[in-house]
Amino acid sequence: MKSDYLWDRSGEADPQLQKLEQALGQFRSQVEAPQFPMDVEKGNQCGLKGIALVWRMRRLAASMVFGAAAATVAVVAFLHVAKSPTGPGWDVARLEGAPSVGELTVAKTGGMAKLHVGEVLTTNASSRASVQVANIGELYVDPGSRLRLLETGSNRKRIAVEIGTIHAAIWAPPGEFVVDTPSATAVDLGCAYTLQVAADGSGTLQTKMGWVGFHQNGRDSFIPAGAMCLTRAKEGPGTPFFEDSLEEFRSALHALDFEELNVAGRSEALQTVLRKARVRDGFTLWHLLARVSDEERPMVYDRLTALVRPPAGTTREGVLRLDAPMIDAWWNRFALGDIGVWRFWEQREAPRTKKAAS
Amino acid sequence: MQIREAGLTSVSDPAQADTASEQALVRSAQAGDRSAFGTLYQRYARMVHGILLARVPRAAAEDLLQDVFLQALPRLSSLRDTTRFGGWLAAIARNRASDYYRQTRPTEEIEENFAETSKDGGPTSSSHVSEGLFFLEAVRSLPEAYREPLILRFVEGMTGPEIAERTGLKHGSVRVNLYRGMQMLREKLEKK
Repeated sequence: MKSDYLWDRSGEADPQLQKLEQALGQFRSQVEAPQFPMDVEKGNQCGLKGIALVWRMRRLAASMVFGAAAATVAVVAFLHVAKSPTGPGWDVARLEGAPSVGELTVAKTGGMAKLHVGEVLTTNASSRASVQVANIGELYVDPGSRLRLLETGSNRKRIAVEIGTIHAAIWAPPGEFVVDTPSATAVDLGCAYTLQVAADGSGTLQTKMGWVGFHQNGRDSFIPAGAMCLTRAKEGPGTPFFEDSLEEFRSALHALDFEELNVAGRSEALQTVLRKARVRDGFTLWHLLARVSDEERPMVYDRLTALVRPPAGTTREGVLRLDAPMIDAWWNRFALGDIGVWRFWEQREAPRTKKAAS
Repeated sequence: MQIREAGLTSVSDPAQADTASEQALVRSAQAGDRSAFGTLYQRYARMVHGILLARVPRAAAEDLLQDVFLQALPRLSSLRDTTRFGGWLAAIARNRASDYYRQTRPTEEIEENFAETSKDGGPTSSSHVSEGLFFLEAVRSLPEAYREPLILRFVEGMTGPEIAERTGLKHGSVRVNLYRGMQMLREKLEKK
Protein backbone atom coordinates (compact mmCIF):
# COMPACT_ATOMS: atom_id res chain seq x y z
CA MET A 1 0.00 0.00 0.00
CA LYS A 2 1.29 3.39 -0.94
CA SER A 3 1.86 5.58 2.07
CA ASP A 4 1.50 9.31 2.03
CA TYR A 5 1.69 11.15 5.32
CA LEU A 6 0.99 14.62 3.94
CA TRP A 7 -2.11 13.43 2.12
CA ASP A 8 -3.79 11.10 4.57
CA ARG A 9 -1.31 10.52 7.44
CA SER A 10 -0.59 7.04 6.15
CA GLY A 11 2.84 5.46 6.34
CA GLU A 12 5.89 6.79 8.08
CA ALA A 13 5.49 10.25 9.54
CA ASP A 14 7.66 13.04 8.18
CA PRO A 15 9.22 14.78 11.24
CA GLN A 16 8.83 18.21 9.66
CA LEU A 17 5.16 17.60 8.97
CA GLN A 18 4.65 16.39 12.53
CA LYS A 19 6.34 19.50 13.82
CA LEU A 20 4.01 21.65 11.74
CA GLU A 21 1.01 19.70 13.00
CA GLN A 22 2.08 20.19 16.58
CA ALA A 23 3.00 23.86 16.26
CA LEU A 24 0.00 24.93 14.19
CA GLY A 25 -2.60 22.72 15.85
CA GLN A 26 -2.70 25.15 18.78
CA PHE A 27 -4.54 27.64 16.55
CA ARG A 28 -7.43 25.29 15.85
CA SER A 29 -10.81 26.88 16.46
CA GLN A 30 -12.14 26.38 19.97
CA VAL A 31 -15.46 28.11 19.41
CA GLU A 32 -18.36 26.04 20.67
CA ALA A 33 -21.36 25.36 18.52
CA PRO A 34 -24.18 27.81 19.14
CA GLN A 35 -27.70 26.85 20.08
CA PHE A 36 -29.83 27.66 17.06
CA PRO A 37 -33.35 28.84 17.91
CA MET A 38 -36.05 26.50 16.72
CA ASP A 39 -38.49 29.18 15.63
CA VAL A 40 -36.58 30.85 12.86
CA GLU A 41 -38.31 30.65 9.54
CA LYS A 42 -36.41 30.13 6.33
CA GLY A 43 -35.09 33.35 4.87
CA ASN A 44 -36.55 35.40 7.64
CA GLN A 45 -34.13 38.28 8.19
CA CYS A 46 -35.82 39.18 11.46
CA GLY A 47 -35.20 35.62 12.49
CA LEU A 48 -31.57 35.96 11.51
CA LYS A 49 -31.25 39.05 13.62
CA GLY A 50 -32.89 37.09 16.38
CA ILE A 51 -30.25 34.39 16.12
CA ALA A 52 -27.49 36.93 16.04
CA LEU A 53 -28.99 38.62 19.04
CA VAL A 54 -29.40 35.37 20.93
CA TRP A 55 -25.84 34.44 20.02
CA ARG A 56 -24.41 37.69 21.19
CA MET A 57 -26.61 37.73 24.24
CA ARG A 58 -25.19 34.38 25.23
CA ARG A 59 -21.71 35.78 24.98
CA LEU A 60 -22.84 38.85 26.85
CA ALA A 61 -24.52 36.83 29.58
CA ALA A 62 -21.37 34.84 30.08
CA SER A 63 -19.62 37.97 31.15
CA MET A 64 -22.20 40.10 32.89
CA VAL A 65 -19.73 40.70 35.65
CA PHE A 66 -17.94 42.95 33.25
CA GLY A 67 -21.05 45.01 32.59
CA ALA A 68 -20.12 47.99 34.65
CA ALA A 69 -16.64 48.06 33.23
CA ALA A 70 -18.05 47.73 29.74
CA ALA A 71 -20.33 50.70 30.26
CA THR A 72 -17.41 52.75 31.45
CA VAL A 73 -15.42 51.61 28.47
CA ALA A 74 -18.22 52.62 26.11
CA VAL A 75 -18.26 56.13 27.54
CA VAL A 76 -14.49 56.37 27.33
CA ALA A 77 -14.62 55.10 23.78
CA PHE A 78 -17.13 57.76 22.83
CA LEU A 79 -14.99 60.46 24.37
CA HIS A 80 -11.93 59.03 22.77
CA VAL A 81 -13.15 59.31 19.20
CA ALA A 82 -12.49 63.02 19.08
CA LYS A 83 -8.94 62.70 20.30
CA SER A 84 -7.90 59.43 18.71
CA PRO A 85 -4.40 59.44 17.28
CA THR A 86 -4.14 58.97 13.57
CA GLY A 87 -1.49 57.63 11.23
CA PRO A 88 -0.22 54.13 10.75
CA GLY A 89 -0.83 51.62 13.48
CA TRP A 90 -0.88 47.94 14.23
CA ASP A 91 -4.00 45.88 14.82
CA VAL A 92 -4.43 44.70 18.38
CA ALA A 93 -6.80 41.88 19.22
CA ARG A 94 -7.85 40.72 22.62
CA LEU A 95 -7.08 37.08 23.31
CA GLU A 96 -8.21 37.06 26.90
CA GLY A 97 -9.34 39.54 29.55
CA ALA A 98 -9.23 43.23 28.83
CA PRO A 99 -5.94 44.55 27.44
CA SER A 100 -5.75 48.28 26.83
CA VAL A 101 -4.31 50.52 24.16
CA GLY A 102 -3.58 53.93 25.58
CA GLU A 103 -6.53 54.84 27.75
CA LEU A 104 -8.84 52.42 26.02
CA THR A 105 -9.71 48.85 26.65
CA VAL A 106 -9.54 46.55 23.66
CA ALA A 107 -12.93 45.03 23.25
CA LYS A 108 -14.31 41.76 22.05
CA THR A 109 -12.35 39.21 20.09
CA GLY A 110 -11.91 40.39 16.54
CA GLY A 111 -12.54 44.02 17.39
CA MET A 112 -9.40 45.56 15.98
CA ALA A 113 -8.09 48.43 18.01
CA LYS A 114 -5.08 50.21 16.58
CA LEU A 115 -1.79 50.71 18.34
CA HIS A 116 -0.33 53.91 16.96
CA VAL A 117 3.18 55.21 17.26
CA GLY A 118 3.71 56.49 20.78
CA GLU A 119 0.84 54.53 22.25
CA VAL A 120 1.17 51.89 24.93
CA LEU A 121 -0.41 48.44 24.96
CA THR A 122 -0.96 47.11 28.45
CA THR A 123 -2.14 43.72 29.59
CA ASN A 124 -3.10 43.24 33.22
CA ALA A 125 -2.71 40.03 35.19
CA SER A 126 -5.65 38.37 33.47
CA SER A 127 -5.42 39.61 29.92
CA ARG A 128 -3.52 38.70 26.78
CA ALA A 129 -3.42 40.27 23.35
CA SER A 130 -2.10 39.64 19.89
CA VAL A 131 -0.56 42.36 17.78
CA GLN A 132 -0.26 42.26 14.02
CA VAL A 133 3.16 43.72 13.28
CA ALA A 134 2.29 45.62 10.12
CA ASN A 135 2.43 42.95 7.43
CA ILE A 136 5.53 41.15 8.69
CA GLY A 137 4.47 39.11 11.66
CA GLU A 138 2.63 38.80 14.90
CA LEU A 139 3.20 39.23 18.61
CA TYR A 140 1.51 37.47 21.49
CA VAL A 141 1.54 39.64 24.57
CA ASP A 142 1.26 37.74 27.83
CA PRO A 143 -0.44 38.97 31.02
CA GLY A 144 1.29 41.71 32.96
CA SER A 145 3.00 43.31 29.98
CA ARG A 146 3.48 46.86 28.82
CA LEU A 147 4.88 47.80 25.42
CA ARG A 148 5.03 50.95 23.35
CA LEU A 149 5.07 51.29 19.57
CA LEU A 150 8.02 53.50 18.69
CA GLU A 151 8.18 53.30 14.93
CA THR A 152 6.45 51.65 12.02
CA GLY A 153 7.78 52.37 8.57
CA SER A 154 8.12 50.42 5.37
CA ASN A 155 11.49 48.99 6.39
CA ARG A 156 11.61 49.53 10.10
CA LYS A 157 9.37 48.48 12.94
CA ARG A 158 10.33 49.13 16.52
CA ILE A 159 8.72 48.69 19.91
CA ALA A 160 9.84 49.06 23.50
CA VAL A 161 8.89 46.39 26.00
CA GLU A 162 8.94 47.96 29.44
CA ILE A 163 7.80 44.88 31.32
CA GLY A 164 6.24 41.51 30.65
CA THR A 165 6.52 38.80 28.03
CA ILE A 166 6.07 38.84 24.27
CA HIS A 167 6.24 36.01 21.79
CA ALA A 168 7.32 37.28 18.40
CA ALA A 169 7.09 35.59 15.01
CA ILE A 170 8.54 37.76 12.30
CA TRP A 171 8.66 37.07 8.61
CA ALA A 172 10.67 39.99 7.31
CA PRO A 173 14.17 40.82 6.16
CA PRO A 174 16.70 40.70 8.99
CA GLY A 175 16.91 43.80 11.10
CA GLU A 176 13.49 45.17 10.20
CA PHE A 177 11.91 44.44 13.58
CA VAL A 178 13.63 45.82 16.68
CA VAL A 179 12.60 45.57 20.33
CA ASP A 180 14.05 47.85 22.98
CA THR A 181 14.14 46.70 26.57
CA PRO A 182 15.57 48.53 29.58
CA SER A 183 18.75 46.49 29.42
CA ALA A 184 19.26 45.48 25.77
CA THR A 185 17.89 45.81 22.26
CA ALA A 186 16.70 42.72 20.43
CA VAL A 187 17.10 42.73 16.66
CA ASP A 188 15.17 40.18 14.67
CA LEU A 189 17.35 38.34 12.22
CA GLY A 190 14.57 36.20 10.78
CA CYS A 191 13.03 34.30 13.60
CA ALA A 192 10.56 33.47 16.31
CA TYR A 193 11.42 34.18 19.88
CA THR A 194 10.14 34.89 23.38
CA LEU A 195 11.30 37.93 25.29
CA GLN A 196 10.68 38.47 28.98
CA VAL A 197 11.38 41.72 30.82
CA ALA A 198 11.23 41.95 34.60
CA ALA A 199 10.40 44.97 36.74
CA ASP A 200 14.07 45.61 37.48
CA GLY A 201 14.87 45.82 33.76
CA SER A 202 16.51 42.42 33.53
CA GLY A 203 15.35 40.07 30.85
CA THR A 204 15.52 36.75 29.07
CA LEU A 205 15.41 36.03 25.36
CA GLN A 206 14.76 32.53 24.03
CA THR A 207 14.96 31.89 20.31
CA LYS A 208 12.76 29.25 18.73
CA MET A 209 13.56 29.74 15.06
CA GLY A 210 16.23 31.64 13.17
CA TRP A 211 18.40 33.90 15.29
CA VAL A 212 18.26 37.15 17.22
CA GLY A 213 20.84 39.82 17.89
CA PHE A 214 20.81 41.24 21.40
CA HIS A 215 22.98 44.26 22.01
CA GLN A 216 23.65 47.14 24.35
CA ASN A 217 26.51 49.60 24.47
CA GLY A 218 28.69 47.73 22.01
CA ARG A 219 28.11 44.35 23.63
CA ASP A 220 26.55 41.93 21.16
CA SER A 221 25.01 38.54 21.76
CA PHE A 222 23.71 36.33 18.98
CA ILE A 223 21.06 33.86 20.03
CA PRO A 224 20.32 31.01 17.59
CA ALA A 225 17.34 28.67 17.71
CA GLY A 226 17.35 26.60 20.88
CA ALA A 227 19.50 29.08 22.75
CA MET A 228 18.76 31.81 25.27
CA CYS A 229 20.40 34.87 26.72
CA LEU A 230 19.96 36.73 29.99
CA THR A 231 20.33 40.46 30.27
CA ARG A 232 20.75 42.75 33.26
CA ALA A 233 20.13 46.46 33.53
CA LYS A 234 23.69 47.20 34.56
CA GLU A 235 25.65 44.66 32.56
CA GLY A 236 23.57 44.37 29.38
CA PRO A 237 23.23 41.08 27.53
CA GLY A 238 25.09 38.13 28.98
CA THR A 239 26.71 35.29 27.08
CA PRO A 240 24.14 33.21 25.19
CA PHE A 241 23.95 29.46 25.64
CA PHE A 242 21.93 26.52 24.40
CA GLU A 243 19.04 25.61 26.65
CA ASP A 244 20.16 21.99 26.71
CA SER A 245 23.66 22.80 27.90
CA LEU A 246 24.86 21.30 31.17
CA GLU A 247 23.68 22.87 34.40
CA GLU A 248 27.25 23.37 35.65
CA PHE A 249 28.13 25.09 32.39
CA ARG A 250 25.20 27.48 32.68
CA SER A 251 25.82 28.26 36.36
CA ALA A 252 29.46 29.04 35.76
CA LEU A 253 28.56 31.19 32.78
CA HIS A 254 26.04 33.11 34.88
CA ALA A 255 28.71 33.71 37.50
CA LEU A 256 31.10 35.04 34.87
CA ASP A 257 28.48 37.32 33.39
CA PHE A 258 26.69 38.74 36.38
CA GLU A 259 28.35 37.92 39.69
CA GLU A 260 31.06 39.78 41.57
CA LEU A 261 33.89 37.24 41.59
CA ASN A 262 37.35 37.43 43.02
CA VAL A 263 40.30 36.26 40.91
CA ALA A 264 40.10 32.68 42.11
CA GLY A 265 36.34 32.54 41.71
CA ARG A 266 36.50 33.92 38.21
CA SER A 267 39.21 31.48 37.22
CA GLU A 268 37.23 28.56 38.59
CA ALA A 269 34.08 29.69 36.78
CA LEU A 270 35.92 30.06 33.49
CA GLN A 271 37.57 26.66 33.87
CA THR A 272 34.19 25.09 34.50
CA VAL A 273 32.71 26.71 31.42
CA LEU A 274 35.57 25.49 29.27
CA ARG A 275 35.58 22.00 30.75
CA LYS A 276 31.83 21.50 30.45
CA ALA A 277 31.47 22.95 26.97
CA ARG A 278 30.24 20.57 24.29
CA VAL A 279 30.88 20.93 20.57
CA ARG A 280 27.68 22.89 20.02
CA ASP A 281 28.59 25.17 22.92
CA GLY A 282 31.38 26.47 20.73
CA PHE A 283 29.22 29.45 19.88
CA THR A 284 29.16 30.38 23.56
CA LEU A 285 32.94 30.22 23.72
CA TRP A 286 33.06 32.39 20.61
CA HIS A 287 31.17 35.07 22.54
CA LEU A 288 33.56 34.73 25.45
CA LEU A 289 36.56 35.51 23.24
CA ALA A 290 35.67 39.19 23.26
CA ARG A 291 34.50 39.22 26.87
CA VAL A 292 37.43 37.73 28.71
CA SER A 293 40.73 39.41 29.51
CA ASP A 294 43.76 39.20 27.25
CA GLU A 295 45.27 36.69 29.69
CA GLU A 296 42.18 34.48 29.66
CA ARG A 297 41.58 34.57 25.90
CA PRO A 298 44.18 31.91 24.91
CA MET A 299 42.48 29.37 27.17
CA VAL A 300 39.14 30.08 25.56
CA TYR A 301 40.61 29.90 22.08
CA ASP A 302 42.38 26.63 22.74
CA ARG A 303 39.24 25.02 24.08
CA LEU A 304 37.23 26.37 21.14
CA THR A 305 39.65 24.94 18.60
CA ALA A 306 39.63 21.63 20.45
CA LEU A 307 35.88 21.48 19.90
CA VAL A 308 35.56 23.04 16.45
CA ARG A 309 38.04 23.05 13.61
CA PRO A 310 39.13 26.62 12.85
CA PRO A 311 37.77 28.13 9.66
CA ALA A 312 40.13 28.69 6.76
CA GLY A 313 42.03 31.94 6.79
CA THR A 314 42.08 32.36 10.54
CA THR A 315 45.09 32.22 12.81
CA ARG A 316 45.53 31.90 16.54
CA GLU A 317 47.33 35.22 16.71
CA GLY A 318 44.66 36.94 14.69
CA VAL A 319 41.83 35.68 16.83
CA LEU A 320 43.66 36.51 20.06
CA ARG A 321 43.97 40.10 18.94
CA LEU A 322 40.26 39.99 18.02
CA ASP A 323 40.82 40.59 14.33
CA ALA A 324 37.31 41.44 13.11
CA PRO A 325 37.26 39.44 9.83
CA MET A 326 38.65 36.38 11.63
CA ILE A 327 36.16 36.68 14.46
CA ASP A 328 33.37 36.94 11.90
CA ALA A 329 34.73 33.96 9.98
CA TRP A 330 34.63 31.97 13.18
CA TRP A 331 30.98 32.85 13.77
CA ASN A 332 30.04 31.81 10.25
CA ARG A 333 31.85 28.53 10.92
CA PHE A 334 29.01 27.58 13.27
CA ALA A 335 26.45 27.93 10.44
CA LEU A 336 23.99 29.55 12.79
CA GLY A 337 23.41 32.60 10.61
CA ASP A 338 25.49 34.88 8.42
CA ILE A 339 27.12 37.52 10.56
CA GLY A 340 27.30 39.78 7.52
CA VAL A 341 23.61 40.41 8.04
CA TRP A 342 24.35 41.73 11.52
CA ARG A 343 27.28 43.83 10.40
CA PHE A 344 25.07 45.41 7.76
CA TRP A 345 22.42 46.26 10.34
CA GLU A 346 25.07 47.47 12.76
CA GLN A 347 26.55 49.90 10.27
CA ARG A 348 23.41 51.15 8.58
CA GLU A 349 20.69 50.91 11.16
CA ALA A 350 22.12 50.91 14.65
CA PRO A 351 23.19 54.58 14.60
CA ARG A 352 19.82 55.62 13.24
CA THR A 353 17.95 53.48 15.75
CA LYS A 354 20.05 54.86 18.57
CA LYS A 355 19.31 58.38 17.42
CA ALA A 356 15.59 57.67 17.21
CA ALA A 357 15.61 56.21 20.69
CA SER A 358 17.25 59.22 22.27
CA MET B 1 -31.89 15.21 17.08
CA GLN B 2 -34.58 15.37 14.46
CA ILE B 3 -32.76 14.09 11.43
CA ARG B 4 -34.64 12.18 8.84
CA GLU B 5 -32.70 8.93 8.49
CA ALA B 6 -35.21 7.19 6.20
CA GLY B 7 -33.59 4.98 3.62
CA LEU B 8 -30.14 5.05 5.17
CA THR B 9 -30.29 1.49 6.36
CA SER B 10 -30.12 0.22 2.81
CA VAL B 11 -26.79 1.91 2.13
CA SER B 12 -23.97 -0.55 2.71
CA ASP B 13 -20.92 1.55 1.73
CA PRO B 14 -19.88 3.67 4.78
CA ALA B 15 -18.78 6.54 2.54
CA GLN B 16 -22.09 6.53 0.75
CA ALA B 17 -23.86 6.27 4.07
CA ASP B 18 -21.99 9.33 5.34
CA THR B 19 -22.93 11.25 2.23
CA ALA B 20 -26.52 10.19 2.49
CA SER B 21 -26.54 11.06 6.18
CA GLU B 22 -25.13 14.47 5.42
CA GLN B 23 -27.69 15.11 2.75
CA ALA B 24 -30.35 14.15 5.23
CA LEU B 25 -28.89 16.63 7.69
CA VAL B 26 -28.93 19.39 5.10
CA ARG B 27 -32.49 18.62 4.11
CA SER B 28 -33.53 18.61 7.77
CA ALA B 29 -31.79 21.93 8.30
CA GLN B 30 -33.55 23.31 5.25
CA ALA B 31 -36.81 22.17 6.76
CA GLY B 32 -36.10 24.23 9.85
CA ASP B 33 -34.43 21.67 12.09
CA ARG B 34 -31.95 23.76 14.04
CA SER B 35 -30.33 20.82 15.76
CA ALA B 36 -29.50 19.44 12.31
CA PHE B 37 -27.94 22.77 11.46
CA GLY B 38 -26.05 22.60 14.73
CA THR B 39 -24.68 19.21 13.69
CA LEU B 40 -23.61 20.67 10.37
CA TYR B 41 -21.88 23.43 12.31
CA GLN B 42 -19.98 20.81 14.30
CA ARG B 43 -18.93 19.05 11.12
CA TYR B 44 -17.94 22.11 9.13
CA ALA B 45 -16.64 24.56 11.74
CA ARG B 46 -13.04 23.46 11.22
CA MET B 47 -13.28 23.89 7.47
CA VAL B 48 -14.82 27.34 7.76
CA HIS B 49 -12.32 28.41 10.39
CA GLY B 50 -9.43 27.19 8.24
CA ILE B 51 -10.69 29.03 5.17
CA LEU B 52 -11.02 32.22 7.20
CA LEU B 53 -7.66 31.81 8.91
CA ALA B 54 -6.02 31.56 5.51
CA ARG B 55 -7.30 35.04 4.74
CA VAL B 56 -7.93 37.17 7.83
CA PRO B 57 -6.16 37.84 11.15
CA ARG B 58 -6.44 34.98 13.55
CA ALA B 59 -8.51 36.80 16.15
CA ALA B 60 -11.01 37.89 13.49
CA ALA B 61 -11.37 34.34 12.18
CA GLU B 62 -13.07 33.24 15.38
CA ASP B 63 -15.77 35.88 15.11
CA LEU B 64 -16.23 35.49 11.39
CA LEU B 65 -16.73 31.77 11.90
CA GLN B 66 -20.02 32.53 13.59
CA ASP B 67 -20.93 35.12 10.98
CA VAL B 68 -20.50 32.62 8.17
CA PHE B 69 -23.00 30.24 9.73
CA LEU B 70 -25.36 33.11 10.49
CA GLN B 71 -25.19 34.12 6.83
CA ALA B 72 -25.66 30.55 5.66
CA LEU B 73 -28.72 29.77 7.75
CA PRO B 74 -31.31 31.99 6.01
CA ARG B 75 -29.88 31.13 2.58
CA LEU B 76 -29.96 27.41 3.14
CA SER B 77 -33.29 27.03 1.41
CA SER B 78 -31.73 28.34 -1.81
CA LEU B 79 -29.31 25.40 -1.91
CA ARG B 80 -30.85 23.01 -4.41
CA ASP B 81 -28.16 20.34 -4.60
CA THR B 82 -27.69 19.16 -1.04
CA THR B 83 -24.57 17.23 -2.01
CA ARG B 84 -22.84 20.57 -2.54
CA PHE B 85 -23.37 21.95 0.94
CA GLY B 86 -19.64 21.95 1.75
CA GLY B 87 -18.59 23.81 -1.37
CA TRP B 88 -21.48 26.22 -0.94
CA LEU B 89 -20.51 26.95 2.66
CA ALA B 90 -16.84 27.29 1.68
CA ALA B 91 -17.80 29.92 -0.90
CA ILE B 92 -19.72 31.88 1.76
CA ALA B 93 -16.66 31.70 4.01
CA ARG B 94 -14.33 32.97 1.28
CA ASN B 95 -16.72 35.80 0.47
CA ARG B 96 -17.03 36.71 4.12
CA ALA B 97 -13.24 36.91 4.35
CA SER B 98 -13.19 39.22 1.33
CA ASP B 99 -15.89 41.38 2.92
CA TYR B 100 -13.76 41.68 6.02
CA TYR B 101 -11.19 43.64 4.07
CA ARG B 102 -13.76 45.63 2.13
CA GLN B 103 -15.47 46.86 5.24
CA THR B 104 -14.19 49.94 6.97
CA ARG B 105 -12.90 48.61 10.17
CA PRO B 106 -12.97 50.70 13.31
CA THR B 107 -9.60 51.83 14.40
CA GLU B 108 -9.96 53.31 17.85
CA GLU B 109 -13.35 51.84 18.47
CA ILE B 110 -14.18 50.29 21.75
CA GLU B 111 -16.80 47.69 21.22
CA GLU B 112 -18.64 45.97 23.98
CA ASN B 113 -16.06 44.46 26.22
CA PHE B 114 -17.66 41.27 27.28
CA ALA B 115 -14.66 39.24 28.06
CA GLU B 116 -15.09 35.60 27.41
CA THR B 117 -13.41 33.13 29.62
CA SER B 118 -10.33 31.55 28.18
CA LYS B 119 -10.87 28.37 26.26
CA ASP B 120 -9.25 25.15 27.23
CA GLY B 121 -6.76 24.05 24.70
CA GLY B 122 -6.31 27.53 23.32
CA PRO B 123 -2.98 29.17 22.71
CA THR B 124 -0.94 29.22 25.85
CA SER B 125 1.62 31.68 27.05
CA SER B 126 4.46 29.25 26.62
CA SER B 127 7.19 29.86 24.09
CA HIS B 128 5.57 27.11 22.03
CA VAL B 129 3.34 29.90 20.81
CA SER B 130 6.13 31.80 19.11
CA GLU B 131 7.12 28.76 17.10
CA GLY B 132 3.52 28.26 16.02
CA LEU B 133 3.19 31.90 15.06
CA PHE B 134 6.35 31.63 13.01
CA PHE B 135 4.99 28.70 11.03
CA LEU B 136 1.61 30.38 10.67
CA GLU B 137 3.23 33.49 9.26
CA ALA B 138 5.23 31.32 6.89
CA VAL B 139 2.10 29.59 5.60
CA ARG B 140 0.28 32.89 5.28
CA SER B 141 3.09 34.28 3.19
CA LEU B 142 2.33 31.68 0.49
CA PRO B 143 -0.02 32.26 -2.45
CA GLU B 144 -3.68 31.97 -1.49
CA ALA B 145 -4.24 28.72 -3.38
CA TYR B 146 -1.69 26.96 -1.16
CA ARG B 147 -2.55 28.67 2.11
CA GLU B 148 -5.99 27.17 2.43
CA PRO B 149 -5.16 23.47 2.08
CA LEU B 150 -2.07 23.79 4.28
CA ILE B 151 -4.00 25.51 7.05
CA LEU B 152 -6.80 22.98 6.83
CA ARG B 153 -4.21 20.22 6.99
CA PHE B 154 -1.96 21.53 9.77
CA VAL B 155 -4.13 23.86 11.83
CA GLU B 156 -7.46 22.10 11.54
CA GLY B 157 -5.98 18.62 11.42
CA MET B 158 -7.90 17.50 8.33
CA THR B 159 -6.51 14.97 5.87
CA GLY B 160 -6.37 15.59 2.13
CA PRO B 161 -9.46 13.44 1.43
CA GLU B 162 -11.34 15.25 4.20
CA ILE B 163 -10.40 18.64 2.76
CA ALA B 164 -11.64 17.57 -0.66
CA GLU B 165 -14.83 16.13 0.75
CA ARG B 166 -15.64 19.10 2.96
CA THR B 167 -14.76 21.87 0.51
CA GLY B 168 -16.27 20.13 -2.50
CA LEU B 169 -13.01 20.41 -4.41
CA LYS B 170 -11.62 17.58 -6.50
CA HIS B 171 -9.08 15.29 -4.86
CA GLY B 172 -6.58 16.08 -7.59
CA SER B 173 -6.83 19.82 -7.05
CA VAL B 174 -6.43 19.53 -3.30
CA ARG B 175 -3.53 17.14 -3.68
CA VAL B 176 -1.68 19.37 -6.14
CA ASN B 177 -2.14 22.49 -4.02
CA LEU B 178 -1.20 20.64 -0.85
CA TYR B 179 2.01 19.32 -2.36
CA ARG B 180 3.04 22.45 -4.16
CA GLY B 181 2.25 24.52 -1.10
CA MET B 182 4.25 22.18 1.11
CA GLN B 183 7.18 22.31 -1.28
CA MET B 184 7.10 26.09 -1.25
CA LEU B 185 6.81 26.11 2.53
CA ARG B 186 9.81 23.81 2.90
CA GLU B 187 11.86 26.10 0.67
CA LYS B 188 10.90 29.11 2.72
CA LEU B 189 11.72 27.40 5.99
CA GLU B 190 15.06 26.19 4.68
CA LYS B 191 16.04 29.74 3.82
CA LYS B 192 15.45 30.78 7.42
